[in-house]
Amino acid sequence: MAVSDSNVSDVVGLDSVSKFYGRFQALDKVTFEIHKGDIFGYIGPNGAGKTTTIKILVGLLKKFDGSVRYDGLSVKDSWMMISKKIGYLPQATGFQEWRTVNHALTTFGKLSGVSGSALAGRIDSVLERIGISDIKDKKINQLSGGTVQKVGMAQAILHEPEILILDEPMAGLDPKSRFEFKEIFKDLSKGGTTIFFSSHILSDVQDLANRIGILNGGRLTHLGTVVDLEERMKLPKEVDVVLSKDSGKWRNKLSVRGIREVVEPDPHHLIVRLEKGADIDAVVDELIRQLLASDCRIRKVSPVAPTLEELYMRYLGGAEQQ
Amino acid sequence: MTLELLFKDELKGFYKSKVMLVLWVGLPILTIIMFYGTGGNVEGMPMSTLTAIVLGSVGGVLSAAMLVSSIIVEKEKHVYDLFLIRPVKRRDIVLSKFMSIYLCVAVAGFISLSIGLVIDSVRFGGISSPILGATFNALLLALSMMAIACSAGVLIGFISSSMLVGIILVIYGANQLSVMAALPSLLLPEQAWLALIPGVLLPVILLLVAMRVFEKKEL
Repeated sequence: MAVSDSNVSDVVGLDSVSKFYGRFQALDKVTFEIHKGDIFGYIGPNGAGKTTTIKILVGLLKKFDGSVRYDGLSVKDSWMMISKKIGYLPQATGFQEWRTVNHALTTFGKLSGVSGSALAGRIDSVLERIGISDIKDKKINQLSGGTVQKVGMAQAILHEPEILILDEPMAGLDPKSRFEFKEIFKDLSKGGTTIFFSSHILSDVQDLANRIGILNGGRLTHLGTVVDLEERMKLPKEVDVVLSKDSGKWRNKLSVRGIREVVEPDPHHLIVRLEKGADIDAVVDELIRQLLASDCRIRKVSPVAPTLEELYMRYLGGAEQQ
Repeated sequence: MTLELLFKDELKGFYKSKVMLVLWVGLPILTIIMFYGTGGNVEGMPMSTLTAIVLGSVGGVLSAAMLVSSIIVEKEKHVYDLFLIRPVKRRDIVLSKFMSIYLCVAVAGFISLSIGLVIDSVRFGGISSPILGATFNALLLALSMMAIACSAGVLIGFISSSMLVGIILVIYGANQLSVMAALPSLLLPEQAWLALIPGVLLPVILLLVAMRVFEKKEL
């Protein structure tokens, strides 16, 4: 079954895209839309077909079934027009090693249509934004892998593309650089840039993406928000409680409808697990009331949302069982 | 405009990666070594003619090998991806590769021939019109051979994914193919310009095939 969530503000639309490498089917009728301003996280296990999808999106793979459209234009027929709107960061950024960073960016800027006078200023501003102004005149072969990745990012955003397509953009970056990249993505999104990215770092996807797609075995098996996935998985909800004073009386007295179990991982710290379908607001109200009645003092009560990683692992586990 | 930009960039690349140095200095040095290596005895053949023939063979194979290695490495590193996601035609990449290395090797040829002419003028006490004529004919042959070898190098680079196979194909394929330029002048020795027929025709065919191969290739 193809997963789709059609919308009139679609920027990019994949319709029943299938791709074979010989007899191996890498993608099976993948259908989804990316809406204007979306930060779309594309996740899935190794070999699921993420990079194949991305290479089709950026016009590197031309032999596939189905259609890919940008603002209604087909990638197969109108690539030269579409390509000006796209910025792309591949999984492994390859530059000719004899180039300096400035020379590489100048060439890619010109090829993307940035005019000569504006280009130098644009290069300076992009390098500064990414925090690599100091390597402007260095040769590519003098740079570390992470820095080459940053130069790759610079070439992707140099021409201010409407759509940014990134294949594992934060792989190989240190935590500080990952944080900076995420800030850049958020800023670009606020400015109206549509971002599509694949990642294995699910915490990054959770931080950034307003929509996600899960690809498994070449099939798109989930499309929506993280909350959609949470609802779909119907995981039991949890409430995290921190007590500033724990009388211990609650152990005998606590009787709240909807609570499955209470776990004490540390002193003064309770994790309250709810039954499926329980009304979390009603449970929290009653829980607070009974804890206070048990002579406890409460410092914090907060519902615990499952991480995307937990949801994803459970989701994949379920898919494997099926 | 794209082709011009890519061509200038490739030239800069060959300059920065010392390819130009190898061709522009190495080949003229080879000319001088040849002269002194033979003790000046080249059986009455003008030095410039011998230089042109050696250039066509050595220079052609050398530049073809450089092309093959550069294209295979760039394919491996996905260098072309960042070009092709922009409004760049694949044929422009193919042409820029050929044009830049061909220009490099042609300039190396002119430098070496000029040295050959200087040596001839010393040997024969001046440059006579038969020597100039022979040199011109040899130049046509050398340029034709180099064009065939370079275009074969481009094709092999885009076909082969193994460096070893690529280099073997250059040595046995491109080298043999470039000799085709000498065939017409062997049959009609007075019509040296005939070398231009295979010298133009074969590169056009090889480059068209290379463009087709690259167009069909999934990166």
